[in-house]
Amino acid sequence: MRLIGPVLLALAAGLYLGFGSDPLGALLFRLDPGLLNLLQAVTQRYLLPMLWDDVLLPVLEAPAWIAPAVLGGVLTLLGWMRARG
Amino acid sequence: MHILKSRPWNLPESSATPEALVFGRRQAMALGAGMLAAGPALAQQAGLPPAMRNTRYAPGRAITAEREVTTYNNFYEFGSHKTISAAAQRMPLRPWTVKVEGMVEAPREYGIEDLLSRMPLEERVYRLRCVEAWAMVVPWTGFPLSALLAEVKPLSSARYVVFQTATLPSVMPGLRQSWYPWPYTEGCTIAEAGNELSFMVVGAYGKLLSPQNGGPLRFHQPWKYGFKAGKSLVTIRLTDQRPVSFWEKIQAQEYGFWANVNPAVPHPRWSQAQERMLGTGESVPTQLFNGYGEFVADLYTGLQRERLWA
Repeated sequence: MRLIGPVLLALAAGLYLGFGSDPLGALLFRLDPGLLNLLQAVTQRYLLPMLWDDVLLPVLEAPAWIAPAVLGGVLTLLGWMRARG
Repeated sequence: MHILKSRPWNLPESSATPEALVFGRRQAMALGAGMLAAGPALAQQAGLPPAMRNTRYAPGRAITAEREVTTYNNFYEFGSHKTISAAAQRMPLRPWTVKVEGMVEAPREYGIEDLLSRMPLEERVYRLRCVEAWAMVVPWTGFPLSALLAEVKPLSSARYVVFQTATLPSVMPGLRQSWYPWPYTEGCTIAEAGNELSFMVVGAYGKLLSPQNGGPLRFHQPWKYGFKAGKSLVTIRLTDQRPVSFWEKIQAQEYGFWANVNPAVPHPRWSQAQERMLGTGESVPTQLFNGYGEFVADLYTGLQRERLWA
């Protein structure tokens, strides 16, 4: 956890510098145009339609650096707290 | 000797409009007059004008239950799942205009009511084969695309017809995925568009076309996979450039330009040899050109080098 958190923060910084405020979805679409369609189909047809619309889509609409920044920040904080305790 | 001289107003018996259609139209006109008297709000709720069934295109299968057809839908602007019908009800179908533009002598913009009143409506029971290997049989009401093209007069340079779906972000959650190449675009060649099977649909089961089925106006070519049928159309454009469709831009390997039904050519992830009938769940063999080969096979003579089946 102490390692993964900082790595994700570094990834967030790299994404911010490289792609600015481009949505995560746009970035994934450029990497593989069919990926999100498949993910959406699996999520909405076999799990729950709302899971896509209300949970995953907001993450994909946000700038690409936000998801790793939030996750990295939480993990770094947890790692720091664990090291102290 | 008795000589019969033909006058321009002499018409053969075969040209006479069927009685049921004449009286049906009279009833519709009477209904329309009543609605005009009642005010525009009521007139907006006018139903589908009566249309005679064209029996030339017998489907050879039982018609799928209306409930199945209106509750199991693909309409990507509303989601990737099949139960988008409730969300689609938020799409306003009136007022609605359709532009026919591009390489035509007489570009026009039609109000949907204008189209309903001026086009030669008929009912056709067509098979529909989805690329996902399910199928249904639907009594569509509409008019031949060729009738619409005759009004706008395509230029001789026009080679393709492009169909674009409405983009209504306030009611279509799928448009939040800004990375996709909206609007939903599909197209066909001018020869395919002029084929007698190419049908502009405004109704189903004798009612105005529901939003989840692509109301108020969709396209249908029954020998192609269903994704080729643009729904809720707002633009029809004639061009000399082959369009790259929405799905072709996303997954060209799975969704090509031609997309003619062929049981011998599998989808990259599943077989196309069989299809599951909506409602009954029965599995039946898929037919080449969805069984419409006698009407369309000639369109593809000399095109063997094209990827006709995906």
